[in-house]
Amino acid sequence: MDVVIWLPIVAGLILLVIPNLRAIKGIIGLLITAIVFYQLIMIYLAGSASIQISYLGRILDLDIDPMTLFRVDALSGLIGVFVGFFTLMVIIYTLRGRKDHLPQNYHPYLLMTLGASAGAIFADNLILFLIFWGFLAITLYLLIPSHDDESAAAANKSLIIIGGSDVIILVGIVLVWKIAGTLSMNELSIGTGSGIGILAFLTLLIGSFAKAGAFPFHSWIPDFAKSAPPASSAYLPASLDKLLGIYLMVRLCNEVFILNQWLTLAILIIGTSTIIIAVMMALVQHDYKKLLGYHAVSQVGYMVTGIGLGTVLGMVGGLFHMVNHALYKSGLFLVAGSIEHRTGESKIEKLGGLSRNMPVTFITALVFALAISGIPPFNGFASKWIIYQAIVDFGRGTGISNELWLIWLALAVIGSALTLASFVKFISGIFLGREKKELKDIRESGPLMWVPLAIIALLCVGFGIFATQYVVPFLFSPVLGEFQLVGLWSSSFISMLIIVSIVLGLLIYGLGTVRSFRKDDSFIGGENLQDSTGFEVTGFYNTIHDSKPLSGIYDKADKKWFDLYNIGKGGVLQFTSILKRVHSGLLQTYIIWFILGLVIMLIFLLLI
Amino acid sequence: MKELFYFLVYPGLAFAATVGGILSWFDRKVTAWVQFRKGPPFLQPLFDFLKLLLVKETIVPAKGSVYTFLLAPILSLFGASISAVLVLLPAFGINAGFSGDIIVIFYLMNIPPIAYILGAMASANPLASVGASREIKLIISYELTFILALGAIIYKAGMSLSLADIIAAQSGGVFAGSVSGILLLIALLFCAQAKLGLVPFDIAEAETEINHGSFIEYSGAPLALIYLTKYIMLFTLPAFIAVVLFGGLSVEGPQIIYSVLKVFGLVLLVTLIRNTNPRLKIKQAMRFFLLWMNLFVIIAFVLTLFGL
Repeated sequence: MDVVIWLPIVAGLILLVIPNLRAIKGIIGLLITAIVFYQLIMIYLAGSASIQISYLGRILDLDIDPMTLFRVDALSGLIGVFVGFFTLMVIIYTLRGRKDHLPQNYHPYLLMTLGASAGAIFADNLILFLIFWGFLAITLYLLIPSHDDESAAAANKSLIIIGGSDVIILVGIVLVWKIAGTLSMNELSIGTGSGIGILAFLTLLIGSFAKAGAFPFHSWIPDFAKSAPPASSAYLPASLDKLLGIYLMVRLCNEVFILNQWLTLAILIIGTSTIIIAVMMALVQHDYKKLLGYHAVSQVGYMVTGIGLGTVLGMVGGLFHMVNHALYKSGLFLVAGSIEHRTGESKIEKLGGLSRNMPVTFITALVFALAISGIPPFNGFASKWIIYQAIVDFGRGTGISNELWLIWLALAVIGSALTLASFVKFISGIFLGREKKELKDIRESGPLMWVPLAIIALLCVGFGIFATQYVVPFLFSPVLGEFQLVGLWSSSFISMLIIVSIVLGLLIYGLGTVRSFRKDDSFIGGENLQDSTGFEVTGFYNTIHDSKPLSGIYDKADKKWFDLYNIGKGGVLQFTSILKRVHSGLLQTYIIWFILGLVIMLIFLLLI
Repeated sequence: MKELFYFLVYPGLAFAATVGGILSWFDRKVTAWVQFRKGPPFLQPLFDFLKLLLVKETIVPAKGSVYTFLLAPILSLFGASISAVLVLLPAFGINAGFSGDIIVIFYLMNIPPIAYILGAMASANPLASVGASREIKLIISYELTFILALGAIIYKAGMSLSLADIIAAQSGGVFAGSVSGILLLIALLFCAQAKLGLVPFDIAEAETEINHGSFIEYSGAPLALIYLTKYIMLFTLPAFIAVVLFGGLSVEGPQIIYSVLKVFGLVLLVTLIRNTNPRLKIKQAMRFFLLWMNLFVIIAFVLTLFGL
């Protein structure tokens, strides 16, 4: 099974040294990804029987028992399938992406990411896991081409936050070794009653949160989304990083550690505040890629909340939301990619009325937007609904965080309403409204770009419609065991009613006067309609932005007061400025330091 | 097929629209009495609907997205009728093959406003944009109050999400019969008022300022569907409140009189509120819900915790 790890990495490295054959690299990348995707499905179906070191292991003559290194169970198999799926979609989407500022070696980087992700998922040994995990930070960095200061800063920020979290994970691994004496995740079950256990859990959790982008380690995602090509954002922050980060979190909360109620409370606070804070930021964005970036953070809050509940139902909700989020958010980023590809604009107010020019992109975008806003019957609703009922179910228990169930429920629901609000802006600002003159000649993107969108949109619809009867039991029963939903929602039948309603509505229209409709200019209260007449959707939420307590917070957020990275950067710069002062360049000072050091060492040696 | 009958005829689309039409007539008649007028004839809502559907010309905006514009009313009608079915089935004690819990209904009742927003934005009219912007801000405002109130009801019903269980939990005494229940009733009535787009929360379609806002471009058959949606919602929301606070709407024997009284009583309250209040500004409405109503519901929930 290790073919899924080394094949893409080796192929990626080989393609990396071949210069200037972009199209061929893309096609080879597509082939290899298809093979790996197939293998990943096979691994998922075969389960732990598939663990055996094949070709490369034999060539290198490794004398290690593969069972101690790798682990394939329902969870890692499932995540693996989705990793393969998203890589395939993104590769198809970028086959023709010459104009989109993609780096020259985009496809080799994608392949290496695929291999490293597979490695991180299937690794059982924590050190092996960290090696692959760290490798991913590098490919993440490579997938933003730095063409100006802003994108370079974003790339650095991402690398520093993710790389820094890797160091913290290393600390956690050391602590785990100290506590348990083994690094195999399979065998670990650490209590969090002691300080060191809590510390080990938190350090590892920080790694998961930084990857998935939960508050307060989220700040790299909006910047990455704004500066990176949308295909990169669709691939990493939107899908793969969520899959990996949440995978790690599930492993930690469900298997490696046994949580106490205060940790549960802390996780729930982080989860719900991630939802609200990020979505409030998304509400006021004018750049649609950055808006999506903030949503990539906000949605993590739902997963963290669901998994943080610690109940089976919560885990189901969290994992299902992770899958759904990866689907619609990567879809939305790819939509953003198509729009940017065709129009070259990244501000919402510069766009408008594209639904006529790009019908397929519009329909898929509408599906994704309704799904992320949690509108029934789409998949986003199904998973949020499971999380809500998990919260209510959780409220039946006793414990400090159980008593507060209504707060978690209310914050999750209002987060969903705010998500809807910001996607009203996204959809109507880009696709509806009056068409701008400059956008008259925009055409639909090519089939290589809209086919992946359509596939992902179909999955969004299908996962929503068949959620309760088929998809959720099929995907998550093997992972978490049998479970019973608390709520009632006949998703398939009610979705069928939508079709009935549309037919009925069209029949009513058929009876009526619609067939002979007349087109006329808009009535705007007797004024003359001019080209400049309009009410920008970006002004929708100025009431919220300018309201009393919020306007101050928004201003501070714009100045990055709440960005842990900026705070950290400020601290480091302060510290280095003190050290800088010591390096004055004067020989005398250096000699004094030198002698002083010798004296201290001498005293130290004499004392011993 | 039986399920389709539930959805399309009873207690779904046809039934809910008929009752909603009657309630709409009732609403207009009461309004007329309040204003010392005579009021419309009983069949006026039906006439309105048929006139729009069959007689009036349909005009679509030249600069807009036509298909989205025309599909939005159908979606809103779906949202209204499916939430009507899911509320009324347990309310009438019918055990159908499909169901949705209180959270599902909460979300399905959001579909009509969302469809209005989509239609308004597709019409490419700046006044409709203003209406849509106000509508979505109103949704954000009342959503939190609504879910907090529902949370209190879920708690009262022993942490159950199903409407049938909530009705069963009230067999010993309706929730509205307690102090917290009355507070919740007031909060839910205001939420219903805002969802129905009635004064003082008709900010999104303010006739005198933005000419019906979200609906400004609608005419003919699409407008007929929007009217139908509004009729259904005028029945669904009071029925929902009757289910969660007044123990359902039983249709067995003489119980039916109580059920009719419950619905008409709630609509009467809604009508009286709308006739005795001025329209708020959107900022005032947001403050009203986000600050005062939420405080109100939280007090109600705390009272619930003490069993009051």
